[in-house]
Amino acid sequence: MMAPASKAQKLDPLAYLALPGLIFMALVFLAPLLLMLWSSIRGADGFTLSGYARVLGDDYYIQVIGQTLQLALITTAGALILGYPAAFALARAKGWRQVVLFALVFLPLTVSIIVKSFGWGIVLRRDGILNWLMLNLGLIERPIRMIFTEFALYAGMINVFLPFMVLPIYSVVRMMDPRLPDAAATLGASPWFRFTRVTLPLSLPGVVAGVSIVFSLAVAAYVTPSLLMGDRYMTMSMVMAKAFLNLRDWQLGAAMAAVLMTLAVVVVIGAAILQRRLGTAKGS
Amino acid sequence: MQPDYLVVSGADKRFGAATVLRDLSLSVAQGEFVSLLGPSGCGKTTLLRCIAGLLHPDRGRITVGGRDITALAAHQRNVGVVFQNYALFPHLTVAENIAFGLRARGISKAEAGPRVAEALALVRMEVHGDKPVTALSGGQQQRVAVARALVVRPSLLLLDEPFSALDRKLRETMQVELKQLLREVGITAIFVTHDQEEALVVSDRVAVMNAGQIEQLTDPVTLYHAPASLYVLDFVGQSTKLSGKVLSSSDGMIEVQTAFGVLRAPASFMPGSSVAVAVRPEAMVLAPEADAALNTLRGQISDISFLGSRTQIHLNAPAEGEDRVILELSRLPAGLATGQEVSFGFRVTDTMAFLA
Amino acid sequence: MERFAKGLTSFALFLTIAFLLLPIVVVIPVSFTEAPIFAFPPEGFSLQWYGRIRNVDGLLSALGLSAQIAALSTAISLLLGTLCAIALVRGRLPGAEAVATFMVSPLMLPGLVLGIAMLQAMRELGLRDAWFSLLIAHVVITMPFIMRTVLASLSLFDFAMVDAARTLGCSYPLAIWRVLVPNILPGFVSGALFAFIASFDNYPVSMFLVDVRTKTLPIQLLNYLEISPDPTLAAVSTLLILLTIFVLFLCDRMVGLRRMSSI
Ligand SMILES: Nc1ncnc2c1ncn2[C@@H]1O[C@H](COP(=O)(O)OP(=O)(O)OP(=O)(O)O)[C@@H](O)[C@H]1O
Ligand SMILES: [Mg+2]
Repeated sequence: MMAPASKAQKLDPLAYLALPGLIFMALVFLAPLLLMLWSSIRGADGFTLSGYARVLGDDYYIQVIGQTLQLALITTAGALILGYPAAFALARAKGWRQVVLFALVFLPLTVSIIVKSFGWGIVLRRDGILNWLMLNLGLIERPIRMIFTEFALYAGMINVFLPFMVLPIYSVVRMMDPRLPDAAATLGASPWFRFTRVTLPLSLPGVVAGVSIVFSLAVAAYVTPSLLMGDRYMTMSMVMAKAFLNLRDWQLGAAMAAVLMTLAVVVVIGAAILQRRLGTAKGS
Repeated sequence: MQPDYLVVSGADKRFGAATVLRDLSLSVAQGEFVSLLGPSGCGKTTLLRCIAGLLHPDRGRITVGGRDITALAAHQRNVGVVFQNYALFPHLTVAENIAFGLRARGISKAEAGPRVAEALALVRMEVHGDKPVTALSGGQQQRVAVARALVVRPSLLLLDEPFSALDRKLRETMQVELKQLLREVGITAIFVTHDQEEALVVSDRVAVMNAGQIEQLTDPVTLYHAPASLYVLDFVGQSTKLSGKVLSSSDGMIEVQTAFGVLRAPASFMPGSSVAVAVRPEAMVLAPEADAALNTLRGQISDISFLGSRTQIHLNAPAEGEDRVILELSRLPAGLATGQEVSFGFRVTDTMAFLA
Repeated sequence: MERFAKGLTSFALFLTIAFLLLPIVVVIPVSFTEAPIFAFPPEGFSLQWYGRIRNVDGLLSALGLSAQIAALSTAISLLLGTLCAIALVRGRLPGAEAVATFMVSPLMLPGLVLGIAMLQAMRELGLRDAWFSLLIAHVVITMPFIMRTVLASLSLFDFAMVDAARTLGCSYPLAIWRVLVPNILPGFVSGALFAFIASFDNYPVSMFLVDVRTKTLPIQLLNYLEISPDPTLAAVSTLLILLTIFVLFLCDRMVGLRRMSSI
């Protein structure tokens, strides 16, 4: 009288709701990625690593990879130096003030990256706002060239990715028990000792999250470097775009993409492992 | 008063290969407060969910006041439930939570207002109506959950471990409060717990559950003094158990050989059967006078523990054996020491025997 | 020392906000200039650049396309992602964590890699319809945002509340509507907002999939910037900024901005 107990009965019927989304992502996301990886090792006559040999054996491409990493590192470091203390001030603010400050940090995230990069160009032009300000303040005698310099690139990159550093640190710091540094103070710890032994370790999960997000976004950045520097500063993303759109050299582009993907994935997984470590260290 | 107000008959419930309720039957009188007692995983919550209509038994029938509700969905049953962690709606205020059931029944806001106020007063939460439920303490949340379930005047109230989230002190206050409240409202209620003391204190009758079945359903005094099985005996209260063999049996009385000696118990088992004999600690006396109504045995004191209002004495059998006897005294006689051999006794009628 | 630290962090926050807002705010005065260049300070006042927006080839159609793709892909992701999140939270699915990671993983992947992979796959399949390619690629882009926020709010949701509503007289669908939906709405709204923005603003994936007639707004803007840079772009940017502020304001009214801090 009852339905026979089959194997499928063990799976909750709700589990099947995952299928449409999963199938879609497998077909539209996973399959193309695998195809791309495959095409990076597919030569005219079967398996070849020549795409990778060209990327990793050519001084030019090695230099591009180095430049990309350098840009990502400087961007991450700059964002951390500015964003870490800012996150503390943001978490400390109370009431309506915090809402306003939060909105001001949050707003740039939602503004188009093209608009921001375009605005950044206006800021840095010879007849732009920065030169105008410095001239009027008497800091400089005649306008200096800033746009299309590495300085402009770094500043623009930090500008675009800074909120991704501030927000994760902010959400960790906000949850931090403010009594802990106080408790340390009653134990006779100096402010510096308190910061390095209590506050800093407790905020580390936010730092790891922020650093990994900013680094993996910066290493793959395309719009900001190409708008602010153009061909003068080639990054991996720009080489890839060129290989596909101009040179039609798919093997090269796919190999470069695989290297970039590996870099980004390693950072993300490394950060996840570090997070887990920090989490368990806190729990014990 | 209807004796068979809620009737569950022959209910089976399986989850995949596991049978959680097996041929379970239960009958509760109108206005009665029954607690459902059993170890974790024995199916208490499953039974409640079947009665509430949140689950449907694979087999069996459920009737309330003679009406068959087996096929009705949860929202058609008018059965109130207080959930384990209360399941209050965080997006609504206290008053809105209580009004939820009334509004779901299509009662207008204006009409619901006085009834919500009444329910708030019933649980003494009048001043908290406009607060968000997240601002309440555990005890207050529980009161809101009870008020929310009662305000729709359900035909039956089910409570799933309503005290488990409260600390011990608050739990004791809330137990008394809930008991009085439900008396006042006069509602039929089933109350799940795995705390035997709570079950004895709070309810008119206790149903002890074991692996998807009701092992015994009776009033607390009978449950304690005449458990239907070893399982119930073990689950409710402390006892001393001695294993033995039936020597003879006549007129509903058996004689049993144990490590402490021969004793009598009111039961009729075949001579030669293995039995367990059990006595509650407080039924025993030390060094009794000779009396035909008593079982009198001897043992050696192995430990004396002082528990404040009473003292426990642990006795070893004179012969080799694993059995020990624990007896409880409200006052310790002078000059008792470990190692001493003493006699002790208990009434034959207080002796319980079970087939082992 | 304490005061010094406080002062230092406050200064850093001030600097951060000023720095972040600078390139955004600067386009507003430039959009009202009379001169056809971006010089600062802007000369005179005119609305001519706003008037010109209509005349720029393809700008309005690009705006329409971007809005359409963003809205559609967000809607599809909301549907597929919410179903999947329910299955992961309630379905006792083995390997649920791995599935969740997979569904969120496009977020960690460089956008260009995704775009290249898509382009290649479309070519292999002989699929040349730019609109359709854009749509399915943008579903992949928006899916992680929906999955993350909906999963987070579903796993915080106590499903006993749905049972409670049912015993109080709500049918199952009504209980879902009255109890589940209001409680996970903040997750829905912030997830949808981020998804929409991510799609609307996407450049690196779209750039491989557009064709001459089917261009999204970021592509068209960047094109225009390269070909004929004039303050029209500042006018468009100003309108986009105002639009974002308006949407953020709406979201704040609906669910509160700070609940969105988990990016
Ligand atoms: N929806 C379900 N699917 C599969 N198995 C279930 C389901 N609900 C309950 N079970 C299983 O049924 C058994 C009884 O569960 P139930 O919740 O009724 O126990 P309980 O007596 O209330 O226990 P506790 O005191 O821990 O609350 C358990 O083994 C449980 O794992
Ligand atoms: Mg239970």
